[in-house]
Amino acid sequence: MIFLRRQVPLLITLITGLVFAGQYYVPHPASEQMLTSVTKWLQIIGGFALVLGVSSLFHVHAIKIRRKEAGWGYSFVLYVGMLGTIVAGMWSNGKEAVDGAMTAFGWVYNFMMVPLQSTMFAILAFFIASAAYRSFRARSREAAVLLIAAVIVMMGRVPLGEYLIPLSGDLSQWILNVLNASVRRAILIGVSLGTVALSIKIIFGKERSYLGGGKE
Amino acid sequence: MSFTERMLKIDRRIIFLVIGVCTLVPLLYPVGLPIRISQEVRGVYDHIESLPEGSPFLLSLDFDPASKPELHPQSISLLRHAFKKNLRVIALTLWVSGTGMADQVVTQVAREMGKENGKDYVFLGWSPGGTAVIINMGQDLYGAFPADYNGKPTKGLPVLQGINSLRDVSYAVSLGAGRPGVEEWYVFGKDKYKFEMGGGCTGVMAPGLYPLLRSGQINGLIGGLRGAAEYETLMDQKGKAIAGMDAQSATHLAIIVLVIMCNLFYFSSRNRARSQGQAGA
Repeated sequence: MIFLRRQVPLLITLITGLVFAGQYYVPHPASEQMLTSVTKWLQIIGGFALVLGVSSLFHVHAIKIRRKEAGWGYSFVLYVGMLGTIVAGMWSNGKEAVDGAMTAFGWVYNFMMVPLQSTMFAILAFFIASAAYRSFRARSREAAVLLIAAVIVMMGRVPLGEYLIPLSGDLSQWILNVLNASVRRAILIGVSLGTVALSIKIIFGKERSYLGGGKE
Repeated sequence: MSFTERMLKIDRRIIFLVIGVCTLVPLLYPVGLPIRISQEVRGVYDHIESLPEGSPFLLSLDFDPASKPELHPQSISLLRHAFKKNLRVIALTLWVSGTGMADQVVTQVAREMGKENGKDYVFLGWSPGGTAVIINMGQDLYGAFPADYNGKPTKGLPVLQGINSLRDVSYAVSLGAGRPGVEEWYVFGKDKYKFEMGGGCTGVMAPGLYPLLRSGQINGLIGGLRGAAEYETLMDQKGKAIAGMDAQSATHLAIIVLVIMCNLFYFSSRNRARSQGQAGA
């Protein structure tokens, strides 16, 4: 069993990792065909992952409801929402509208999901303003630099800011194009090198956490 | 408790009220300050302008309703521009929760511009796999999407004539609110399948995409509501983005004033504490 649980996945990872790292550099039709087939598998696996994710969510919240854990009422709301949406979706054949007429699924989407998600995002403005007032203080030199840069970019990104301080637009563009882009690039390069290193460790079996815990 | 200390611990509901008023009043009484066009937005606009009639234009609407206020106006402007230039529009989404919204915006703008589904545009819908969908489209478009969102087989659609993969697309724009989005379209799409690409994103994401922009990996970037307002200005069509710019101006200014105030109170309270400490010693 250890062979099936450990060695086989490691072997599959090693072979596919090496083959597909090399595939990128081989434009031969056979190599391209292989990539086409594998990406189709990936899409199919992606579909199954969705089913797995939904069933896992149901399972976790079913336990919460059964044990009447703290906040089990929210889990119940989640169940009602999920099941209601699935039933409406299946009833409407997965379509929000048919010949211009809104279906039940479309109603759930347009009048529940869209306003709820938009509201969640919109109230961020209020909390950000409150958080900025409480924590955006020039306690150190670094914090002062961050504060000044933030004020310039905030002014330069809106017409009123550019109207009041005409230079703020150009200054804000310079901060974004030069300071921000160079620092972001450095972070990106660092992250990419880390990803390459981690990928090599996974391919050669040094990093095995993806296999999960479980008994040997 | 001194005045400065009281001000530092101000009830957050007062701040909420200030932000609410600053958002609402400019929406009710718009000022309409001029909007300056940035090079980033002009990059996308100019490229679409330069495309010959009938060129395949791919628009990936990779966002959900949470980002609707910023990315919906961007998609409307881009679709209007593409239809006005008589480009063949291929739309899709990599975000399952954005499928209905993407379908609505494509259908609405196409109807407004008098375009025909299947002939002038197609909405492919959503397919599972995230970045795998991009690679699959690069390998075989019909394999990734055998049917469009309405279930019509994609093979044989006049709008897709001569298009077999992403290699045949003249220009692609991803309007992304996260992952998968602009970066993934570059890494898994443009880098391998060599098509020209631009991007659109929410305001908070824009600074993160500047390295791609500066290196020419994307030729333009529409950032947030401001980017959408710039595109609307370029299109000479006042929409929701331009209408929202006054509100955004007022809220930005309110936050700046609040931050300056809080720093003044902070320094005043710190100085007082220091002088009291020295007097005590």
